[in-house]
Amino acid sequence: MTNAPPLDSLRAACVAGREALRREFQARGDALATLAARSALADRTLAALAASLFPASPPQAARYSLVAIGGYGRSALFPCSDLDVLLLCADARAAETASAPGAALVRALWDLGWRAAVTSRLLDECDRFEQDNPEFTISLLDSRYVAGDAALAAALRQKILPALAARERTALVRSLAEITRERHEKHGNTLFHLEPNLKDAPGGLRDFDVACWATALRELALRRAWTAPESGWSAMLGESAGAAYRFIAAARVFLHFHNGRDDNRLTYDLQEEAAAAGIGTAATQAVPVDQWMRSYFRHARAILRLESRAMDEAGSRQSLYNAFEEWRARLSNSDFSVHHNRVFCQRPAALADPAFLLGLYEFVARHGIEPAVDTEASVERVLAGPAYATGWPGEPAAAGASLRGILTRTGAGVALRAMHRVGLLDAVLPEFRAVDSLVIRDLYHRYTVDEHTLLAIEALHALRVSKFEPDRRFAEILAEVEQPDLLYFSLLLHDVGKGMPGDDHVTASVEAAGRACARLGLSGYERDLVIFLIRSHLEMSLTLQRRDIFDPDAVRVFSELVAVPERLKMLCLLTYADIRSVNPEALTPWKAEMLWQLYAAAANHLARSVDGARIAAGAASDRELIEVVRGSSALASLAKPLAAFLDGFPRRYLKLHASDEIALHFEMAHRLEERLVAGETLAAEAQLRERRGHYEVTVVARDRPRLFAGLTGALSAWGMNILKADAFSNRSGLVLDTFVFADLYNTLTLNPEERGRLLGDMEDAAAGRRASDAAPRHRRAPHGPRARSRSTVATQVRMDNQCSAASTVLELVAHDRPGLLHLISELLADAGCNIEAALIDTQGEKAIDVFYLTRKGAKLGDAEADTLLETLLHGLEQP
Amino acid sequence: MTKIEAIIQTSRFESVKDALKEAGIEGMTVSEVRGHGRQKGHTEVYRGREYSMDLLPRTKVELVVADRLVETVVEAILKSARTGKIGDGKIFLSKIDEAIRIRNEERGENAL
Repeated sequence: MTNAPPLDSLRAACVAGREALRREFQARGDALATLAARSALADRTLAALAASLFPASPPQAARYSLVAIGGYGRSALFPCSDLDVLLLCADARAAETASAPGAALVRALWDLGWRAAVTSRLLDECDRFEQDNPEFTISLLDSRYVAGDAALAAALRQKILPALAARERTALVRSLAEITRERHEKHGNTLFHLEPNLKDAPGGLRDFDVACWATALRELALRRAWTAPESGWSAMLGESAGAAYRFIAAARVFLHFHNGRDDNRLTYDLQEEAAAAGIGTAATQAVPVDQWMRSYFRHARAILRLESRAMDEAGSRQSLYNAFEEWRARLSNSDFSVHHNRVFCQRPAALADPAFLLGLYEFVARHGIEPAVDTEASVERVLAGPAYATGWPGEPAAAGASLRGILTRTGAGVALRAMHRVGLLDAVLPEFRAVDSLVIRDLYHRYTVDEHTLLAIEALHALRVSKFEPDRRFAEILAEVEQPDLLYFSLLLHDVGKGMPGDDHVTASVEAAGRACARLGLSGYERDLVIFLIRSHLEMSLTLQRRDIFDPDAVRVFSELVAVPERLKMLCLLTYADIRSVNPEALTPWKAEMLWQLYAAAANHLARSVDGARIAAGAASDRELIEVVRGSSALASLAKPLAAFLDGFPRRYLKLHASDEIALHFEMAHRLEERLVAGETLAAEAQLRERRGHYEVTVVARDRPRLFAGLTGALSAWGMNILKADAFSNRSGLVLDTFVFADLYNTLTLNPEERGRLLGDMEDAAAGRRASDAAPRHRRAPHGPRARSRSTVATQVRMDNQCSAASTVLELVAHDRPGLLHLISELLADAGCNIEAALIDTQGEKAIDVFYLTRKGAKLGDAEADTLLETLLHGLEQP
Repeated sequence: MTKIEAIIQTSRFESVKDALKEAGIEGMTVSEVRGHGRQKGHTEVYRGREYSMDLLPRTKVELVVADRLVETVVEAILKSARTGKIGDGKIFLSKIDEAIRIRNEERGENAL
């Protein structure tokens, strides 16, 4: 016999109960009490309905059980969460009997305002892992008896589930890991959303549940017994995650009461209201919203760490992963080991040494493997010690070098996040602390400022492997950047000003970057480059948005801002990364195309306008020149002679070289003048230095026919492959040529004494003491792709008599090979051309050369240009 | 009611937006589009490789206004989007039968 349920009285009880919950939460802010109270209200309702709807007399009675599962089973029923109930039946006959009452139960619950889902299963069915519905089996881990046959529910809890967990642990944990991975991916794999989902985003309440389930599965499999999840966690992790759960649960309860539905997105408006009400705080007193959000992110981070640890310990990376993990374990060395895809420190005590500490994260960055939770705990203990109380205890320049090394590794994102998580990034770079978990409200940004920054760095690293077609061109540009570490470093600091006082974040970022560069020992050139990139980091975007990028004037104005190709490349990539990391959809193919078009137009403009702007005589008061003098103590009292030396050089020269380099060139010119005055008519000055894995030779000499050909010939004769070069001359006929070359045969590396001989040959060639066509000692490289590979780059020659007022511009693209530049310069010299300026570049197998040519002091005539073009094409076709 | 679709130079969008605001227009839909009129595409030679852009990037602004505002709005767009060069874009007008605000089901001009 069944009775009609007393719906009216139950409805009144539910309405009163819900209202009481709301009042109690508003008064005390205790989320856990609210969750438990709502679960208890549901229990009472369910028990009352069960008593009315299900048969109370034999033989059908007591062969079913109503079991709370999921969040309801955990007694963590949020105000608008669904009520998940299992109608557990002993056998098929009981299920048949319970079918109609079950359906009536669902209707009654909905009538009473509960969003209920009742799932019916036989006890035996619960003993199978439902591979196509893993969520159901996982939800059983929270099962709790509510009504009906208590022994039946106990059999599920005490016999079936422990056995199932022991038998299917691997599959269950793997399913849980997969579900979690998909959920995290849906939320961009980051917890730092400006408007986070409190339940599903990484670090949300669901991750706390995952940690509980993973721990329960491990314990059930090991002991066949239920234990409280907290007992399986370290005290530190458990305490911080417990506090985090209380804070975020309070925020979610607040959201549910406010929205009146299961909407878990913490919008800007609700952040304001929650902070004003002190939700989640002990005193429930108003706190500034940015401070409240920082608390949220700190708590979310604690939950994410707990989830990661619990899943690791439950063995989430089994089977297929094992082989990979075993392989990665081989990466271990005497300082760090890799175990289960986590980095462990072999000598935790050594972490007290700042250099060793950063070495750990260099290892992490190199291999892209997260540090183990225990390792992080050791690092946190070190950072909390007295040595770090007043700042970075190690050598700042060494720390700067380590940081730059980390930034260029493919796993930079993993390392930087790990450093940020434990406070190490702030210790090395206190400027970054200003944007820790900083929410800046705008319609486009989806992440906090620190997360946006780290995503930008990852976006650049991802270029190397991107399958997104528009990325290919940017990947090529990235491969050409000479000092990518400075690009990444600029990205790291480009927005720190957003967390500093004032309305102009760019200026604040520039000032902060200036301090960081000085402290971390960057050279003057490096500092200028970083400052330029940060100061200009919005310029390319603004040009795209507000200028017609197909208008030559707009391109000219933008090109004048960047001035040199290397800066253009870096600014373009910084802009790309900055836009890309605003939100996943921000860099549309449309925008990427616009960005690339502006880059290409500006690059062409820079190549074709070298002699457009030159330094004028009497430029001692020139603003740029004053900056150069300021940048080098050697030039402090030499503004006027320096201006005379620079008179007639392209202005670009000032951007290409740092003050100390310009001082060196000036000194070389000065020595040359002294030698010439002393009567040494065939004099020249040359200097050699190592530069980022290559060599750079700088030559100062009086201009004369075939000078450039002579210098390239000398380098070719030594078997050197010229990668880059520039050649400028001033108004008094002084030539300054710089060549960056690869020492293909390691001649200079293995025989340092040969450097002097090479310099001597260069000086001889520059002074005209050596024939320019001296046969190069062509030695075919025994290895090296350039020498072996077949030509894949078609030779292209383009003559332009329009873009320069004084010269004919020759643009040449050809397959690079040893001696190529010497061959070209010989052909130009044979044609009677004088090289006024030259920009030589090599990208992979492609040589890209631009020459500014005159003949008898004037541009080439059209017929002369045509003849030269034919000569070059013919000459370059020769093997 | 009239729907106004303006295809404009991306660089003129901020000016157009300001002009529309001044004309009392609050809402609009903006999209990134590509296309060309008579001016065809653009070709850039970079590092010896030719990059053709048959369809140029433009910005499309869409708004629906009461008929009495159409001329004012069109005038505002014309003035703010014009550079005088080829490629300034086009404005298209079309009649709208009905507008419904989803939140409260208001209809007609009240829904705009």
